[in-house]
Amino acid sequence: MKLFTATRACCLLVLLILAPGLQAEQATVAAASSLRPTLDQMVEAFEEQHPEDSVVLIYGASGRLTTQILNGAPFDLFLSANTEFPEQIAAAQAEASLPQLYAGGQLALWSAKQDAREIGWEGLLSPDVRRIAIAQPDIAPYGQRAKEALIHYGVWDQVQGKLVYGESVSQTARMALSGAADVAVIAASLVQQDIMKQQPYMPVDVSSHLPLSQSMVVTAKGSANPVAVAFSRFVMSEQGQSILAAAGFLPVAQIRSAE
Amino acid sequence: MSFDVVVNWEREGFCLEVSEAFPSVGVTALYGPSGCGKTSLLRIVAGLEPAVSAQVRFKNQIWQTTGGFVPIEKRRIGLVFQEASLLPHLSVESNLEYGWRRTPVSQRRLVPADIYQMLALAPLLTKRTGQLSGGQRQRVALGRALMTSPDLLLLDEPMAALDAEAKRQILPYLARVVRETDTPTLLVTHSASEVLRLADNICFMESGKVAGPVTLSDALKDPGSPLFSDSGALSVLHGTFAREDASGWGAFSTSSYSLHVRNLADYASSAPGLSGGQADRLQIQARDVSIALTDPAQISIQNHLSAKVTSLTEKDDGMTLVQLTLADGQSLIAELTSASVSRLGLSPGLSVWALIKSAALLQ
Amino acid sequence: MAEFFTFTPADWQAIWLTLKLCFITTVLLMILATPLAWWLARGGSWFHTVVQSLVALPLVLPPTVLGFYLLILLGPQGWIGRGLESMGLNHLAFSFNGIVLASLIYSLPFAVQPLQDAFSRLGHRSLEVAASLGASPLDRLLTVVFPLCRGGLVTAATLSFAHTMGEFGVILMLGGSIPGETRVLSVMIYDYAEALNFENAHRLSLLMLVFSFTVLVAVYGKQRRLSFFAQRDTES
Repeated sequence: MKLFTATRACCLLVLLILAPGLQAEQATVAAASSLRPTLDQMVEAFEEQHPEDSVVLIYGASGRLTTQILNGAPFDLFLSANTEFPEQIAAAQAEASLPQLYAGGQLALWSAKQDAREIGWEGLLSPDVRRIAIAQPDIAPYGQRAKEALIHYGVWDQVQGKLVYGESVSQTARMALSGAADVAVIAASLVQQDIMKQQPYMPVDVSSHLPLSQSMVVTAKGSANPVAVAFSRFVMSEQGQSILAAAGFLPVAQIRSAE
Repeated sequence: MSFDVVVNWEREGFCLEVSEAFPSVGVTALYGPSGCGKTSLLRIVAGLEPAVSAQVRFKNQIWQTTGGFVPIEKRRIGLVFQEASLLPHLSVESNLEYGWRRTPVSQRRLVPADIYQMLALAPLLTKRTGQLSGGQRQRVALGRALMTSPDLLLLDEPMAALDAEAKRQILPYLARVVRETDTPTLLVTHSASEVLRLADNICFMESGKVAGPVTLSDALKDPGSPLFSDSGALSVLHGTFAREDASGWGAFSTSSYSLHVRNLADYASSAPGLSGGQADRLQIQARDVSIALTDPAQISIQNHLSAKVTSLTEKDDGMTLVQLTLADGQSLIAELTSASVSRLGLSPGLSVWALIKSAALLQ
Repeated sequence: MAEFFTFTPADWQAIWLTLKLCFITTVLLMILATPLAWWLARGGSWFHTVVQSLVALPLVLPPTVLGFYLLILLGPQGWIGRGLESMGLNHLAFSFNGIVLASLIYSLPFAVQPLQDAFSRLGHRSLEVAASLGASPLDRLLTVVFPLCRGGLVTAATLSFAHTMGEFGVILMLGGSIPGETRVLSVMIYDYAEALNFENAHRLSLLMLVFSFTVLVAVYGKQRRLSFFAQRDTES
C-alpha cells in the first residue's frame, strides 16, 4: 500500500512541470570564467542604469561555452577570453555580430604560500616548487598565453614534469588557493579578489606572450535581443571600460596598439 | 470422453514421442524411472511448454494445436509440484485463497470448508509458509490446487521431496482427495507404492515412450511387472475396511469374502475423519500367501480364501508365481517354491485355498 | 551559525530543479527499466547480450564525453534535434527535458541491473504456480513479481534517484547551467567553487550530503528490517 501511495505522489510531482519561466526583458550572457567577479560588477552597474533590463550571467571555460553556442545554447552574448572563439561563432552564425575587442587580459604569477614576486620565473625551477598550475592551453586562452610566457622566459622545457592543468583559469586559481599547486600562472583579474589578497602577485609582462585580445560577440539568438545589444554597448562605454581597468584588464586602446 | 496428447519433442537424452488417449476419470499414473520424460509430458498437458509443437485435447476443449494454444491460466487445471512452491510472500490462508478468488463463481464446485476439512488444514491457516513442515506444505499445495475446482488435477511427483514419515502421513489425504472430489488426476511418479495406493490406471513410460493405459488389476497380472521390482510380486484387492476395535483390527470385506486385517496405528491416528465405508485397498505380498488343497482347520493363519489357479510362471530363482482368481473375480498372486508347486500338483483351473499370513491396508 | 543555513533564492531554485529532475527521472526510469529488465532476465540469446551491454555502456563512458555527444545529437544541428525542429518542437539541448533525457540514459544501468537481478532470482516456479491458479500475466506481475521483487524495485528507484542527484558532467555539457532550467545543485556547487565562493559551496554540499544520506539510511534500513523479519519467519 505504501508503495502505491508513493507512486501516486511521484506521479503528481511529475505532472508539476513548471511552465516556461516568464521572459522579461532579459539577456543571457556567457562569459569566460576569468571575468569573474568583474562581470558581476559590470552587470550590477548596467542594471542600475537600466532598471527594466536584467542580465543572467553564465560563466564557464571559453572552449566549452563556444561548443555549446555552436550547438544551440540560448546565450545572447558571449564574452570570451580570446578572439578565436568569437570568430568561430561569427563564421558559423550568419546573424551574429562581428567579434568586438572589449579588453586585454593580463597574466599574473601567484602562490598561496609566499609572495610570488620572490619566486619569479627562475624560482619555478627550484625543487621547492613541486607543482605549477596553468589553465589547459587547448581550451583556455589564458593557459595558452601562460605557456607562451613560460617559453619566453626559457623555463618551459624544465617545468614540464611539474605542470598541472586546470579546466578553466578559475579552476587553476583554486588549485593554487588550496595549495595543491605551489604556484599558478593565472589571470590578473582573478588575483584582485579578496580571497587572493592574502599574498601579493607578480604581474607578467605583456610582451612575453601574444596579446590576450578578449573579444565578445552577439550571437544569432542575441541579435534580436535589445538588452544583449545594450549590454555589449555598456561594456564598451567609458563606465564599462573603467570597471575592466580597475579589475586588472588592459584598455582596448592599449591592446589595439599591440596587435 | 478422454483426453489426447500427441507430441514429438527432442529432449536431452531422449525424444518424447507420445500419441495417446488418456482416461479422463479416476487417477492415471504416469509411471517410469527418472529421466524418462514423464514430467515433460505433464508440463505439456499443463500448458507450461507453449514452444513445443504438440496437440492436446481435453474432453471437448482443444488446449494446444499447431495454430493455437490455450494458456495455462485459462485451462481449469490444478497443479502440484514436487516442492510445494507456496508463494512465500503470502500467508497459508492467502495461498489457499489465491486460486479460489480467481475462480468464477459459477465454476466453484468445491468449497473451501470441505477442502480444509478433507486435508485438515484448519490449524495451519494462521501460520506463515516458512513455519510448515514438508508434509504440511504439500497438503496446503494440494488444497490450493483444489480450491480452483479444477477439471484435471496434475501431480508431479508430489511426494518425492518428502521423507518417509511425511510420505506416510500425506498419502491418506491424497487418497481421500482423489476419491471425494472426483477429479480426474494425472499422477507422475517413480514410486511403485504410490501407484499401488492411488492409481486406477497406469501408463508405463520409458525413454520418452508411453505404453497405453492399463488398469491396476491388469498391470498386476503381469508377473514381470515393473511394479514388482521394489519388493517382489504383490496383489492389490479392492474392498471396504471396517474397524472393529481401538487397536486397529478390522474386517476388509468384498462382495464375496472378508479378511481379518489390522490397520496400523499410525494410519489410524494420522488421518482423522477417515472412517470405514469407503473404497479401500489391501496389499498382499506374494510371499505372504500360501496355498492349500483343502481348507486347513487348525492353523495359525486366520485368512483363508477360496480361489482358482489361473496360471503358473516359473522364475529363475527356483520360485514360481501362482496367479489365482478369487470368488469376486479379483486376482491374487502367491509365490511358492517350484518344488512345492509340483508336489501339490498345481495346474490352471484347479480350485485351492489361499492362506494369507499378513496383509497391509493401503490408504 | 544560523546564517550558515540561509539559502539564496538562486539556491532554492537549484534545489527545486534538482528534486524535480530526480523525481521525474526516477519515475520514468522505473517505467522504462522494468519491462526491459524483465526481458533481459528471461532471455539468453545473443541479442539479449548486446542489449545488456548497451544498457551498461553509460557506466563506462566518461560523463563529459556522453554529454558532448548528446549535445551534438540533441542540439539544432543534430539528427534528433533537427528532427524535432522540423516537427515544430524545440530541440532538446539546454532544456530541462534534455537533461531529463540525459539522466534517463545515464542512470539507466542503475535501474536495470538491480531489477534484472531480482527478476532472474525470482525463477519460474512461482509464476507457473500463480498461472495454474488462474492468474493472468498482468495479475502475476502485480501479485507475484512485484511483491517478491520489492527489494530490487526499491534499490533500483533509490539508486536512480541518488545517481541523478549526483550527476554533473553530462548535465553541465548538455544543460549549460541555465538558471531555473538546467542549473541543478551539482552545477551550482561547482559554480560557487569556481567563483571561490566557498561558504556557499560548503552550504549546498552539506545539504546534498545530509539529504542523500538520510534517504539512503531510510531506504536501506527499511529493507534490512523487512528481510530480517522474513528470515526469522522462515527459520522458525
